[in-house]
Amino acid sequence: MKPEDWSLRVRRGRVRLVAFGVAAALVAAACGGSDDSGDDEAASVEEGVEGATGAIRDVSEQGEPVTGGSITFGLEAETTSWLPGEGQFANSGVSVAYALYDPLIKRSADGELKPYLAESMEPNEDLTEWTLTLRPDIQFHDGTPLDAAALMSNFEQLSADGTQTASAFDGVTMEVVDDLSVRYTLPAPDSAFPAVLTLSPGWPYSPTAAAANGADAGANPVGTGPFVFESWERDNRLVLRRNDNYWQEGLPYLDEIVFRPIPDEDTRMSSLTSGDIDGMMSLRQSNIIELREADGIDNYEQIGNSTGSNIFNTAEPPLDDIRVRRALAMATDQEQVIEVLGGGGVVPPATQIFGPDDPYYSEQVAEDWVDYDPEAAQEELQAYVDDPERSDGKAPGDPVAVRYDCLPDASLVEVAQLFQALWSTIGVEVELRQVEQATHINEAIQGDYQVKCWRLGIDGDPAAVMDAYYLEGSPQNFTRFTDPQVTENIEAMKATTDVAERQRLAAEAMSIVNENVVQTYSGGTLGLVAVQDHVKNIDGWTYPDGSEGGTATQGTVVWANVWTTEG
Amino acid sequence: MRLVLRRALPAIATLVAVAFLTMMLTSLLPGDPAQTIAGPEADPEDVAAVREDLRLDEPLPTRFVGWVGDAVTGDLGRSYRTNQPVAEAITERMPVTIQIGAMAIGIALLVAIPLGTLSAYKAGGLADRAVTGVSFGLLAVPSFMMAILLILVFAETLGWAPATGWTRLTADPVENFRSAILPALALAVGELAVYTRLLRADMVTTLQQDSITMARAKGLSPARILFRHALRPSSFSLLTVVGLQIGAILSGAVLVETLFAVPGLGRLLVDSILQRDLVMVQGIAVVIAASFVVVNVVVDLLYTLLDPRIRHGHATA
Repeated sequence: MKPEDWSLRVRRGRVRLVAFGVAAALVAAACGGSDDSGDDEAASVEEGVEGATGAIRDVSEQGEPVTGGSITFGLEAETTSWLPGEGQFANSGVSVAYALYDPLIKRSADGELKPYLAESMEPNEDLTEWTLTLRPDIQFHDGTPLDAAALMSNFEQLSADGTQTASAFDGVTMEVVDDLSVRYTLPAPDSAFPAVLTLSPGWPYSPTAAAANGADAGANPVGTGPFVFESWERDNRLVLRRNDNYWQEGLPYLDEIVFRPIPDEDTRMSSLTSGDIDGMMSLRQSNIIELREADGIDNYEQIGNSTGSNIFNTAEPPLDDIRVRRALAMATDQEQVIEVLGGGGVVPPATQIFGPDDPYYSEQVAEDWVDYDPEAAQEELQAYVDDPERSDGKAPGDPVAVRYDCLPDASLVEVAQLFQALWSTIGVEVELRQVEQATHINEAIQGDYQVKCWRLGIDGDPAAVMDAYYLEGSPQNFTRFTDPQVTENIEAMKATTDVAERQRLAAEAMSIVNENVVQTYSGGTLGLVAVQDHVKNIDGWTYPDGSEGGTATQGTVVWANVWTTEG
Repeated sequence: MRLVLRRALPAIATLVAVAFLTMMLTSLLPGDPAQTIAGPEADPEDVAAVREDLRLDEPLPTRFVGWVGDAVTGDLGRSYRTNQPVAEAITERMPVTIQIGAMAIGIALLVAIPLGTLSAYKAGGLADRAVTGVSFGLLAVPSFMMAILLILVFAETLGWAPATGWTRLTADPVENFRSAILPALALAVGELAVYTRLLRADMVTTLQQDSITMARAKGLSPARILFRHALRPSSFSLLTVVGLQIGAILSGAVLVETLFAVPGLGRLLVDSILQRDLVMVQGIAVVIAASFVVVNVVVDLLYTLLDPRIRHGHATA
């Protein structure tokens, strides 16, 4: 089977799998932004429209590629380590990694999972074995050849217990087939397995350098990427220089990239507009909207699957009763929530964990999602309140009380207060509690909560995402919701590459999840890469065969294809 | 020297106590460090592996004894989060925070001493009221707000200094100064208001003493009286507070370093706490405690310079 045959097609702009090592992104944002879902028109890409709803791409004339020059790019966070398996790669880290490493597999503009550093990847008939063949004559930055032995050495480290990538290779074994080929054997059929290799489990690094650097390997990354590590001052700057021995002829264009983590959104934007830096990423909706009107700045926006939400602990009274969950969902005015989160008029409301541009987005699920209806919510809640067998053990007539946990971020505090106000109108007593992120995540994992603000939706394969969210025993099944039909559908999705069938299975599973109201949605998140207009081709990367690549997904950039006209 | 020696034992005891309390308090923080480090997608086996690897499954006293044993040899361990040696991380960050803090205190003193002196000399007058008003105004401005204002004016509008980032002194002294000046100013503003008020209060008292009346009677110039005869005896409170304000500088640095994207100790400390990087928190806490001890010993020594009677055991009240 050729690579194209197993590829899962996804439409432009949506894809970003990633579950490995994005703990921070998962929750940090817990409700942060706002964003998309809703109708197709609203989320479509518009060109150069100020104040437009949905993502815009407002860029200057690109011209022909220019070789040379240096740019400085502002990241939203520092990464703990640059070694796959050790580092926690959130969006900032992934963007840098695209300069240091090459992914074995990469998603295309059309959403196909296509080989990048790999030459091909072919499954056996029942999708339990995947044979990956590397391109020949590629070397790591230190001259070590990229071959099957290097992949095996990486695999042994990446799959070890306690690494950031261990869960990606849970139950997976690898064997060397020949000098350039390895075979992954899975514990069960998985049509989405190649998606694992788009992220840190699929970024080969030099085993020679890793062994030589020992515990300091994370501070001395050696990959096959278009840029070579030069120096790193943590929390200040990472300097990468051109890889003159890069395997893709003519690339990269830039001589140097300096990455600077600037955690504060406002000062990062000030650094861009004052010319201290040449580009930046942002997921803050208000700043993205403001940058649409900045002079001399090119904006590359994108809306993915990520959506702000509230998750309900379905194992904890009174949220174990669907009447309470439905009441809270119907008492939630999504438009108001989005407004408070800074996405008002820009991002449409979400209704599921797939954005409108995702191939697994379902119109039917969107139509079926509960509407804002305080009166119906009141009735639903009253049925629970008057129930002598109510699950919270209170006497009939006593008000329902819930604890709402969220992060101490200014906009999230405001949105928490909004939920308190909205839900109190139907008679729910809401206790607000601020918790910092590590506690927030730990409590969710342990099920020690009632309602938490959260961020749902990852641009990845639906089977992998739904598996994580709704399968019994999954560490990320924070809602504690499981359903035999949902489980069956997830397993069936893993066992087929038929996109239409997978779409049907995903929609059916999503529908069951939404019927059970285990979570509510606000809106998705606009992701932005903004650059001075001398920096070109942020979203114009290509595959080694010259075919079109993708977009700047949630602030990440493929740096090999970027150039500056200020060489 | 005897003073230094006399201070050594209590200082060591303080450091050990701080180290133990830090370890105890961080272990009481909600949230499992092993889970935080392994990530939410990690299964229980991965979390257990991390816990064992970091020796978090050992009893606290055992961990503490092990930590002290390593610490006395200079090994503060490796960060759970980044795998960087803690001592190396602190060595990298400390100079940044010290420079910004020292510049902030320097700027604050440079402004506060003339202003406080003027305010005391003209007590009750227009200048005094103006200085008092401005001081109270500055006290009310939080350092993060001042930071944003400074960025807006000096980075975005005038372009005199970068909005964010840090250049090491050894790499480029001029750029280093440019990258340090705005963070230092943001921290200095609150400090100078405190210093001005303190110096004014003490100097008003000093100026009422007989020695000053005598100096005036001798016909000495006001400047000579103020800066030669009144300033030194008026500086005790100021000196004490400057020493104590090291802590305030550090807490201010947490915000300012984040806003200006400066790789200082405050930013490292907060990130480490949020990520449950306990061994890094432990190392930083001990270093900060040691800094406090050293600064206060230095302050005590400076007292003797301000008033020789202290050196001879005749301390004033």
